[in-house]
Amino acid sequence: MEPVGESLTARDILQTLIKARKNVRMYPDNNPMYLKTVDETFARFSRYLGEHEALTLAIKQNTIHHDGEEIYANPEKDDNFALFFFKDGVRELTFRRGLNRDEIEEFLKIIAQEFDREQVDDDVVTLLWERDFENIHYVVDEAFLVDIDEEEYERKAEETLKERLTDPNDLLRAYKDGFQGGEKTDTAVVPLSDGDLQMLVKELEKDAAGKIEKLVVILFELIYLSEKQAEIEEIFQLIREAVHYCARRGDIALIVHILHRAQHVMQEPSLKEGGKDYFTMLRYELGQERVIACLAHVLDVGLEIDTGAFGQFVGFLDKNAIPSLIHVLGELKTVRARKYIIDALIALGKKDIHAIAKGLNDERWYLVRNIIYVLRKIADRRATEHLLRAVRHSDLRVRKEAIKALGDIGSHDVVQTLRECLDDENGEVRIAGARAFGTMGTEVAKKIILEKASNKEFRDREFDEKKAFFEVLSRWKDQAVFEFLLETLRKKALFNRARNEENRACAAYALGLLGRKDAIPVLRSVGDSCGDFLRDFVHVAVRKLEGDQ
Amino acid sequence: MWQSGNSKVISREDQETLRSAQDIINQLSVILRNAQIHNPGNVAVTTAIDRFLALLNPLMARDGSLTLQLVGEYFYCNDVRIRYALEYLLNFDYLAREFKKREIGTVVFLPGLRPSDVQAFLKGFLAAGFSSAPFDALRDHVSPLERIRVDILKKIAEGERDDTRKVVKKVYYNAVSFSKGVMTKIKSGEKVNIRKAKRIVESMVDHLLEEESLLIGMTAIKDYDEYTYHHSVNVSILSVALGQRLGLNKKMLTELGLVALFHDIGKIEVPSEILNKATSFTEEEWKIVKRHPIWGVRALLKLRGLDPTAIRSSIVAFEHHMNYDLSGYPRVRRYGDLDLYSRIVCIVDQYDAMTSARVYSRIPLAPDKALSIMMERAGKQLDPLLFKFFTNMVGIYPIGALVMLNTRELGLVYESDTVFLDRPRVLIIVDRSGNRLEKGPVVSLTEKDPHGNYLRSIVTTLDPNKYRINLAEYFL
Repeated sequence: MEPVGESLTARDILQTLIKARKNVRMYPDNNPMYLKTVDETFARFSRYLGEHEALTLAIKQNTIHHDGEEIYANPEKDDNFALFFFKDGVRELTFRRGLNRDEIEEFLKIIAQEFDREQVDDDVVTLLWERDFENIHYVVDEAFLVDIDEEEYERKAEETLKERLTDPNDLLRAYKDGFQGGEKTDTAVVPLSDGDLQMLVKELEKDAAGKIEKLVVILFELIYLSEKQAEIEEIFQLIREAVHYCARRGDIALIVHILHRAQHVMQEPSLKEGGKDYFTMLRYELGQERVIACLAHVLDVGLEIDTGAFGQFVGFLDKNAIPSLIHVLGELKTVRARKYIIDALIALGKKDIHAIAKGLNDERWYLVRNIIYVLRKIADRRATEHLLRAVRHSDLRVRKEAIKALGDIGSHDVVQTLRECLDDENGEVRIAGARAFGTMGTEVAKKIILEKASNKEFRDREFDEKKAFFEVLSRWKDQAVFEFLLETLRKKALFNRARNEENRACAAYALGLLGRKDAIPVLRSVGDSCGDFLRDFVHVAVRKLEGDQ
Repeated sequence: MWQSGNSKVISREDQETLRSAQDIINQLSVILRNAQIHNPGNVAVTTAIDRFLALLNPLMARDGSLTLQLVGEYFYCNDVRIRYALEYLLNFDYLAREFKKREIGTVVFLPGLRPSDVQAFLKGFLAAGFSSAPFDALRDHVSPLERIRVDILKKIAEGERDDTRKVVKKVYYNAVSFSKGVMTKIKSGEKVNIRKAKRIVESMVDHLLEEESLLIGMTAIKDYDEYTYHHSVNVSILSVALGQRLGLNKKMLTELGLVALFHDIGKIEVPSEILNKATSFTEEEWKIVKRHPIWGVRALLKLRGLDPTAIRSSIVAFEHHMNYDLSGYPRVRRYGDLDLYSRIVCIVDQYDAMTSARVYSRIPLAPDKALSIMMERAGKQLDPLLFKFFTNMVGIYPIGALVMLNTRELGLVYESDTVFLDRPRVLIIVDRSGNRLEKGPVVSLTEKDPHGNYLRSIVTTLDPNKYRINLAEYFL
């Protein structure tokens, strides 16, 4: 039968609640949809409770009732709002006048929980109980707490107890003995003082600290207390779990402490045989993706990290951590988190450069670029072959990073590839190649750049590119470069004058960077007889040289 | 069993009342303390009165009047029960004690209350403390006042308590059967329902908050066959009760109750032929029994993996026999202080074990005797501060103690009095003529005759175990 009057309104409120539960499950609490849902639900309840003292819902297995009228029914097991409460023992829910928005939101959060999942330790009653709402009340049936085979426990226990009736003679004996003086209790209860309360407050404050540290201490004590090898193995499994637990909480300092203690325990005579294995096992655990991923998450959400401890943590990592670190590096969202992981890879990469280089095969350009950066920072020539491949990557950003890395490595093997870069059709690659040669700083590199800058076609390149090449040249502070720059500065042209002026400007700019003050008279004389564009560069160079002086 | 999630509807206004009322009760206590040192006209008293009125007036403006009532051990302010905040604990206890001394049940403050009214009330209050009929003396002083009324302390009706007792019994046995189920399940490698464990403990916490002495009374019955399960529940109940005295919140009390329930879980590894041995343990057997804290840690962590409850439970399982001074077992190498919960469980575990008939120790100690022995251990095996709170909780004569009264009546301590620790409520089991009573009265030793003399006092204590007195006959 269709509900009428107040029950119809109650049904509408219930439907609002069911819909709100879905939305709260679906959207994060800063989402406008979430906020709208809470506001609407609150408004709905407020309207009702403005006219009534309370809204009481009686809950049965598959139905919900208001004032004796059924306002919800669902025979199915899944998504059954009545059963959701009923199975945990809730039999009645009352929302009272005074209900506020916070209470509604908290209530929605509770009912939005997926209690069917195993890892949830609380049921709906526990959460309602803990929250202790002022204006939401519930009635529960606790019968389900008793297993079927234990239902008779109370009766049987009582019967057993009452079978052992007090013997009237014993009672009489006690009564008589009572007149003989018996024993007078010598207990004196000392009243509590303000000092006691202050001490208690301190105890409670101390107790608020985390407990995992204490458990770790206990686990290591258990190693000493173990009598069999199997027990030690079991404890080390638990220590591994503790490491994982710390990782979930981002407690890197404690992980480091665990590793230090494990290292120490390794020396224990009784452990000598297997000790090293256990320690290796723990280090291996650190590198597992389940640990690394937890730490990465902690880094990404911006939890404060003890930098020193992180460094020590990385020191304990073994090379098995490299694939996990590379994997999470590709997933991280914040620069800060990426920096931590990149630093870890740099520190760890020396142990296995090829494992790092595997990251170059990833499809994500940004990850490949980060790996190249790592290889560049490691600065190990074994990385050359991988970087040479990366120069031909399809993404320009990756190519530039690879060229830069090759410049840092600077071995003979990279010259040919870098030389090819100077002729690349992309100007940015050419600039990167020139800069890489500049980083190498060898005679060969200088010759190559000089050769390029002297080339006729070079004059027609974009100004920025030319400026970059000349800037690179200025790194070799020798006579050959000086003379080349002076020659370029003085050089005049009848045709293509604008392009030639650009070259001269670049030369002036480079002379400024080179830092030789004997260039000043030449610069001044050129500055007195040239166009505005070149004059500006000349003036800047002169000022710089004079300033340096 | 049906249980309301919130025993009384508490509105937002009531919530404000709760907060203000805590301050008011505290301030009234301050006034009385000051008035006992200084003259009521002294500035220390008058300043305290002004502050009291400043707290009182907003509530009276809202509700028309303010009724402060003492029911059992709790104060109610305009029918809302006031919870004890830790910082007010001593002043609350003091006020309750002073009210009881004068048999004051209710004080009503009416609008228009002036400092002079409060000063007059104070004079009467102080004078009543020296009178043989204190309440009458106070009423004589207060009756001319128009804005203050007082009423005598009422006793709790026994009928109401019978129904509650049934509920409390159910809660207790649910917990024991669950505890038994947990051990059986762990032994057979089955999963344990932690949600259920939480619900059981929450239920115990609720009843301890409302009916502490009834649930503690259940722990006094020690004649069960299945010691281990009852012991786990008893330790859980007594730990929560002590935790409540320490001012732990509901969530912390649940956590404490849970970890206490699992403190002996390692005993499932002790072979039953040792655990159930009728004679004393050999050295080798003791060695095995002493490993149960170690096995407890392993069992709990394997059972649940690492989460806050499992971690805390493991810590308590490991530490509960280590002693405050680390002189117990397991022996450790590098160790700091014991966890707070371990120190709580250590105290109540010893108390319950000493007062229980275990298989290997058939003769339990009388509750007061156990307390006396434990007192010697405070500061060494037991945390002295927590033990002080414990003795203040159980009183000089704990529930279940057999006492001879000066009225030639024999009785069992039925309920402690948190204010008069040496004057509990006693169930009379043999009357003054030496007749056994099937259903004797429960009397409060704080009751006085018209001349102000106590009607009954304890003369001696006897060991109920020596006379094989079955507490279940009287307590269930």
